[in-house]
Amino acid sequence: MSSVADASVAPRASAWGRFRRWLANPWGRPRFLPLLTWGYVAWSIVPVLIAVQFSFNATRSRTNWEGFSTRWYWGDPVDSVWHDPTLRNALVQSLKLAVADVVIATPIGVLLAIGLARWHGRGSGTSNFLMLFPLVTPEIVMGVSLLLVFTEVFTFIGTGTTAQILGHVTFSISYVVVIVRGRLFSIGRQFEEAAADLGASPTAALTRVLLPLLMPAIVASAAVVFAISIDDFVISQWLSSGGETDTVPVKIYSATRAAPLPSTNAIASIMMVLTLASITLGFLVWRAFTRGERRAGQSVVKDMGALEI
Amino acid sequence: MYRRWLWPGFALPGVVWLIVLFVVPFYTVVAVALGTVDPILFQPVPIWNPLEWNVGWLNEVIHRLGPGGNLTDVALRTLQYVAISLVLSLLIGYPVAYYIARLAGRTKALLLILVIAPLWINYLMRMLAWVNLLAPDGYVNRFLTYTHILSEPRDWLGGRPSTVILALVYGYIPFLILPLFAALDRIDKSHLEAARDLGASRFSTFVHVTLPLSKVGILGGAVLIALPMFGDYYTPNIVSGAPQTSMIGNQIDLYFHGGPQPTIGAAITIVLAAFLTLLMGYYLWTIHRATREARTA
Amino acid sequence: MARGEIRLIGLTKRFAEVTAVDHIDLDIAPGEFFSLLGPSGCGKTTTLRMIAGFEQPSEGRIILDGTDVAYTPPHKRNVNTVFQNYALFPHLDVFDNVAFGLRRAKRPKNEVKERALQALALVQLGGLESRKPSQLSGGQQQRVALARALVLNPSVLLLDEPLGALDAKLRKTLQIELKTLQREVGITFIYVTHDQEEALTMSDRLAVMNGGQVEQIGAPQDVYEDPETLFVADFLGVSNLMDATAQGAHDGRCRVRADTFELAAGSGAIDVTGPAKIVIRPERIELESREAASGPNRLPGMVERLVYVGAAVQVIVRVATGDALQVLVPNTGKSLPYQQGTPVQVHLPVEALRVLVADEAGEAGPAKDAALAEASGRD
Repeated sequence: MSSVADASVAPRASAWGRFRRWLANPWGRPRFLPLLTWGYVAWSIVPVLIAVQFSFNATRSRTNWEGFSTRWYWGDPVDSVWHDPTLRNALVQSLKLAVADVVIATPIGVLLAIGLARWHGRGSGTSNFLMLFPLVTPEIVMGVSLLLVFTEVFTFIGTGTTAQILGHVTFSISYVVVIVRGRLFSIGRQFEEAAADLGASPTAALTRVLLPLLMPAIVASAAVVFAISIDDFVISQWLSSGGETDTVPVKIYSATRAAPLPSTNAIASIMMVLTLASITLGFLVWRAFTRGERRAGQSVVKDMGALEI
Repeated sequence: MYRRWLWPGFALPGVVWLIVLFVVPFYTVVAVALGTVDPILFQPVPIWNPLEWNVGWLNEVIHRLGPGGNLTDVALRTLQYVAISLVLSLLIGYPVAYYIARLAGRTKALLLILVIAPLWINYLMRMLAWVNLLAPDGYVNRFLTYTHILSEPRDWLGGRPSTVILALVYGYIPFLILPLFAALDRIDKSHLEAARDLGASRFSTFVHVTLPLSKVGILGGAVLIALPMFGDYYTPNIVSGAPQTSMIGNQIDLYFHGGPQPTIGAAITIVLAAFLTLLMGYYLWTIHRATREARTA
Repeated sequence: MARGEIRLIGLTKRFAEVTAVDHIDLDIAPGEFFSLLGPSGCGKTTTLRMIAGFEQPSEGRIILDGTDVAYTPPHKRNVNTVFQNYALFPHLDVFDNVAFGLRRAKRPKNEVKERALQALALVQLGGLESRKPSQLSGGQQQRVALARALVLNPSVLLLDEPLGALDAKLRKTLQIELKTLQREVGITFIYVTHDQEEALTMSDRLAVMNGGQVEQIGAPQDVYEDPETLFVADFLGVSNLMDATAQGAHDGRCRVRADTFELAAGSGAIDVTGPAKIVIRPERIELESREAASGPNRLPGMVERLVYVGAAVQVIVRVATGDALQVLVPNTGKSLPYQQGTPVQVHLPVEALRVLVADEAGEAGPAKDAALAEASGRD
C-alpha cells in the first residue's frame, strides 16, 4: 500500500492512530482480545460483587452506600434474614429440597449411568435418548408439565414440598448421569476384568473396584445436584403452594419485583456462598481422589470437562 | 462376566422415574391442550384418548399467534429478542472464548474459573444485581449523569427492550462461552500451524481454519442458550415490569397464574415445544452432517 | 494330574458378521511358553480373552486340565492375565494390588502378606509396596501386574502384549526376564504378540495366526526355517518372494522356472506344478562375483543399495528376473567387495530355496519388494 511518494511523508502521529496500532499489535498478539476478555470478566462479576457489598449496607438503600453493617444478616430484629420468618423459612425450604434432591437423585443417577453405559440391548438407545431430554427441555415447559401432572393426574400429591422434590429430582438425574458416564468411559472395563481375572465375583468387582473408582464422579455430581437445586427457580415456583413452600430464589424474585431490601441481597449472597462452596468442594474432592491417576501436567479442569453427552 | 439383565436392571429405576415424572407430564400437557374446558367450573378437562382430541383450543392459539392475532406481537418480539441477544452474545462470547482457549497462556486457568463462576451464581442474584445498578438512583444513572452522557437519570427498569436484551445477554452468555471454549480448545494446534506453514496470515488462518472448525461448537452453544431463552419469562419480569416487553414465556405464565386458563396455556406450551423441537432437529441434523463429513475426510 | 494343559477345540467367536476366531484347534503342553503371533485383527487377542473368560465362544471348547471351562465365568477359572496396559487398580497401592486376588479368595492375613511380598520379590520389586501405580515407571508397573497374576499360582498365565508400551531396550531386557521367570516358575505361559522377533526369542512353540485361523504351529526354528504358507513365510522375517512356475518333483527337488531361469527348490511343496512362489531367507543367499564359476541356482544381478544396520549389512540386489532380493551379510569388519552398481552373481542354495503355493484367495500376504521391507522385520 505504501508507495515511493508516501515514504517521504511522515506517518500520522495522532493519538488515535497510535492507540489503534498498539491495540492491534501487529507483531505480537492482538491486544484487544485480552482487553475484551478481562473487560468481560469485570462486567460479568463486578455487578454481583456490588450487590454483595450492599448486603452489608448500614441503611435500607440498595443504591447508596452508607457504611458497613451486618444488620441485614442477623442484626435487624424485623427484616434481617435471621429474624424475618419468611426469609428464614425460604432458606430452610431451599436446603430441604436440595438435600432431598441429592439423596434421591444421586443413587438413581449413578445406577442409570452405569446401566446405560453397559447396556447394549433393545431399548438402550431409547432410554439414553430419554435421559438426555430433560437437559434440553426449557424449564417453563417442564414447569407447566409438572404442574399439570400434579393437578390433573397425581392429584394426591398436588403442589407443595413433595411435588417440588419430585420435580427437582427429575431434572437432576440427567446431570448425574452425564458426569458419572464421563468417568465411566475414562475408566473402561479393564479394571473390572482384572478384578474378575483375579477371582473377584461380579459383586466384588462392582463394589471393590468400580465403585471406588467412580467415587470422584459420584461426589462431584452430588455437589452439582446440590448447587442446581438450590439455584432452581422455575420448577420451585411452579410447584410451590405458596408461602411456606417458597424457596429463596422465589423470594428473591418476588422481592426484586416489589421492593427489594438489602436483606434480599443478603439472602442472595448466602445462597451464592453455599452454591460456590458446594461446587468447590466437589472439585476438590475430584482432584484429591484422582491424584493418583494423573500424570504431571494433566489438567483437572480438562478431566471434569470431559462430559460425555 | 456379568449377568445380562444386570445393566437394564440398573437403569430401571431411573428410566421408570423419567417415564412417570417426565413423559407422563408431557403427555398431560398435550391432553390438556387438546382437551376441553368445563363450562361451569372453568377447569380444564384433559382428554387422554388421542382419537378424541379436541383441536379447538390449539387452533385458537395458533390463530392468535399467527398474523393478526393478539399474540403475534409477543411471538415476533420473542424471536427478535432471542435473535439479537444471541448475536450479541456471540460477538462478545466468541472472542473471549477464543482468547482463553488459545492465547491466554498462564492466565488460562484463572480466566476459566472466573468465566465458569457466573454459571454457579444464582441467576436471580445476577438479575438483582442489575436491578440495583439500574435503579433511578443506582450507579449506572449516577455515572451517566456525572459524565454528562445523560442530562437526567433514565428509567431503565420501566419497560425498555434494551434493558431486557442486556439482561438476557448478561444472564445467558456464560452458557455460551463454555461450549465455545470447549470447541476452540479442542482444535489441534498442528492444523493452525499447517495453515501458517502453507502461507496463510493470522487472520486468514482464523477465517479459513479456526472458524470452520469451531462451527459445530458455535451451533451447539447457540442452541444451548436459545432454547431456554425462548421460554424465559422471569428476566423480562424482573428488569421490566411492563407488558410491552413481554415474551412468549410471560404469556404462558399469565395463562396459568394470571387468571387461569390452563388449557390455553398448555396449548401455547405445545406450540412453543414444537417450535423448539424443530430447532433442535435442525441442530441435530447439522451435527449429523458435520460428523459424516468429518468421518469421510 | 497335568498342571496347565490347554486344549482349544473348534474354538470360534463371531461378532455380528465378523468371524474373529474361526474354528481354532490348539494343544498347549503344561509348562510351555506358547506364543500366539499375528498381525492386528488376526484374532489372537480374542482367543486369549476367551481363554481368560472375558468373551464367550460362539462355538467350541476350552479344555483346561481336562475340564471344559468355556462357559465358566472368569473369576472361577484358575487362569490369570497380565493385561496390555497392566490394569493396575489406581486406587490401591502396589501391595494391595498384588494382594487383591488373595483377599478375594479369603486367605488368612499373614498368608496374604507373606505370599504378596514373595511375589514382589520374585519380580524384583521389593520395597515398593506402598507406592501407587502412577508413581511407578512402565517397567515397574509391568512387574507389578506380573506379580499380581503369579501370586495366585494359576495353572496358566495369559499375557496380552505386555511389553508393547515399553521402549526397545527395556523390552529386550524384560523378554529375557520373562523367559527366565517362566522357566523358574514352571507355569504355562500363553503370550500374545505381533512382534515376530519377540515370539521367536521367547517361545517354546508358537502359532502364527491370520484372519482368525492358525496358519502354522511349531517351534520357532521350524516356523522360521520351514514356513508352510506364504503368509507365515512373509510374516516372519524377510522372505524374498519370487513368482515362479513349478514343474513338479525331480530327484527330490522341485524344478521351478522363474522368468527365464531354471532353479531347483529343495524344500516346501515339492510336488506341485503350476503357478507358485519361491522364498529364501536373506541370510541364506550367497553373493558371488560375476567372474566366478557359474553353477545351478545362480542368477545374474546388480547391487542396488547397501543398508548398514549395525551387526550386518542389508544388500538389496536386483536380479535378472526383475525381483529385488534382500541379502543379509554379517558385519565382519572387513569391507565388502561390492558397492552400489556392482554386477554380482546371486547364488540361491537349493536346500534354502523353498517353494510355496499361493493361498486360494490369491492374497499371499502383501507381495512386496524385499527392498521395501526394512531391517528388523514387519510387525
